[in-house]
Amino acid sequence: MIEIKDLHKSYKMGSNSLHVLKGINFKVEEGELVAIMGSSGSGKSTLLNILGMLDSADSGEYNLDGVPIKNLSETKAAQYRNKFLGFIFQSFNLINYKSAAENVALPLYYQKVPRKERQEKAMKYLERVGLKPWADHLPSELSGGQKQRVAIARAMAAEPKVLLADEPTGALDSKTSYEVMDLIQKINDEGNTILVVTHEEDIAHMCKRIVHLKDGVIVEDKKVEQVRAEQYV
Amino acid sequence: MFDRDVWQEIFNTLKTNKLRTFLTGFSVGWAIFILVMLLASVNGMQNGFVGQFNDDATNSIFVRPGTTSKAYGGFEAGRRIQLKNDDLEYIKESFPKDIEYISARYYGNATARYKDETGSYSVQATHPDHQAIEKTLVTAGRYINEADIINKAKVAVIGRKVAEDLFKKEDPLGKFVEFNGLPFRVIGVFTDDGDDNAERRIYAPVSTYQRIYGNTNEIASIALTYNPNYDLAEALEFSERLEILMKRRHKIAPEDQAGLNVWNYAEAFNDISSFTAVLKGIGIGVGFLILIAGIVGIGNIMVFTIKERTKEIGVRKALGARPRQIVNLVLLESVFITAISGFVGLLFAWMILAAIGPMIETPAFSNPSVSLSVVVTATIILIVAGVLAGLLPAMKAANVKPIVALSDK
Repeated sequence: MIEIKDLHKSYKMGSNSLHVLKGINFKVEEGELVAIMGSSGSGKSTLLNILGMLDSADSGEYNLDGVPIKNLSETKAAQYRNKFLGFIFQSFNLINYKSAAENVALPLYYQKVPRKERQEKAMKYLERVGLKPWADHLPSELSGGQKQRVAIARAMAAEPKVLLADEPTGALDSKTSYEVMDLIQKINDEGNTILVVTHEEDIAHMCKRIVHLKDGVIVEDKKVEQVRAEQYV
Repeated sequence: MFDRDVWQEIFNTLKTNKLRTFLTGFSVGWAIFILVMLLASVNGMQNGFVGQFNDDATNSIFVRPGTTSKAYGGFEAGRRIQLKNDDLEYIKESFPKDIEYISARYYGNATARYKDETGSYSVQATHPDHQAIEKTLVTAGRYINEADIINKAKVAVIGRKVAEDLFKKEDPLGKFVEFNGLPFRVIGVFTDDGDDNAERRIYAPVSTYQRIYGNTNEIASIALTYNPNYDLAEALEFSERLEILMKRRHKIAPEDQAGLNVWNYAEAFNDISSFTAVLKGIGIGVGFLILIAGIVGIGNIMVFTIKERTKEIGVRKALGARPRQIVNLVLLESVFITAISGFVGLLFAWMILAAIGPMIETPAFSNPSVSLSVVVTATIILIVAGVLAGLLPAMKAANVKPIVALSDK
């Protein structure tokens, strides 16, 4: 599903250049649940940005579902993001004046799906995250865990190839974190490919594979026995 | 464009920033208000000027003799030029196709007396055509006719004020008035749109006056109107031909302005149109400059809004919003604020003008109003202004990196 070869990225900081990614080689198959770990400054966020087509690499190859991602125009990148990727953010990033259902329907709006169909799909995904009764609520009327579930529903609404979660539990207490991870595991069980960036060991061990980043290189890439989050809920 | 989601977003931003929206909108509304008022004022001025001139036929030409200022054709300078009846006939015969109406003028003063009432009035002795040239409105009786000219009849058409002064409530028609001791029969009463002074005038047949005052064939000046189908160029060309011919006839140097003056209304009209055009230009210019301040205000607020919403825009982009969709959103919002507030200004100006405009009637300023074309122009200006105001902020918004939203923790 995802194939990365010899990926380099550096940032210019004044006269200095900061080499953040120093040749990443990495493959993700369909249906995997991968945790990307590393301390801050390890390059994990940069990697996620490149995977999410929010940033471009200096050199190296990136293929997503067989499509080479290179030299994309803003418009093309937007189209690919919409089609291939679903984002889950640490701070949820729901639009505060739109109801839960409208938030979920937003990616579909950018796919130019007709209004009625958008609403139906949004309800379907809200039901999947167990928030159908909250469809008309504004984000301010939801708890943190509920917000993240709405965000997950939104990420899934466009039926992307890959879900990218950047510290999805970073802003949640542990109980809610496990609820969210339980949901992510269940979505993965249905065959969806998910990448989770985290620095929390327990969250990482709820994935099926852990990739450790340090100083811009992968220092460890191992399959792990998945810890089901269900038992903590 | 007519997307519910887009409007929902626009209304949301406006709603959450009511005061801010109002203050910015006010600057644009105010600018449009001033622009419309300025244009209406220019319009009022134009109406005033045109009203002043409408008193006379706008296609009239006046030929007035003077005193030569240059020696020419064997004559010395300082010769007084005198027009005579045959000058009139000569012009009539020379330009049969160009002339619509033509009349001589002979000026005199009369102390008029009817019963116990007396008054001093100016008398214009004319031909029947003069009625059309001066646009004299005869409200009772008739104007001078050909028979009066041939018979040298002692008849008079008196102004409304004259009738009021001398006859009080009596009907003046058919009554005899003494002008300097000679009895004249009143055949008509006229009014004049121009002013009250014109109604203190008396018209009499030119032949009658020529006989009374020394059995002469002299006339003071010639008034005529040219073919009403002529445009400005043709009219000017005709008055030039007339001037050349008359100067040749009276042996006046072609460049001598003092010897003979041919005055064409078209020329004056032309001057006035260019004058009001300049005024209109100034009005539009000043209005635009004020509007620019409004546009900058809206642009400023849009930049601010974008800054506030950077994160949201980043999220939208991450969800697949294309740059163009973001640009459209910002532009639409900007056009919306501009258009709405502009229309409020326009409506306000229009209401004020509709209420007080018709009440303003002074010689130089009358009925200031806005035409449909001004409204249409203002609308177009507003939409363009809205786009201009939103353009820079929209570009800024389109350039928001979704990374910002992601890394912003």
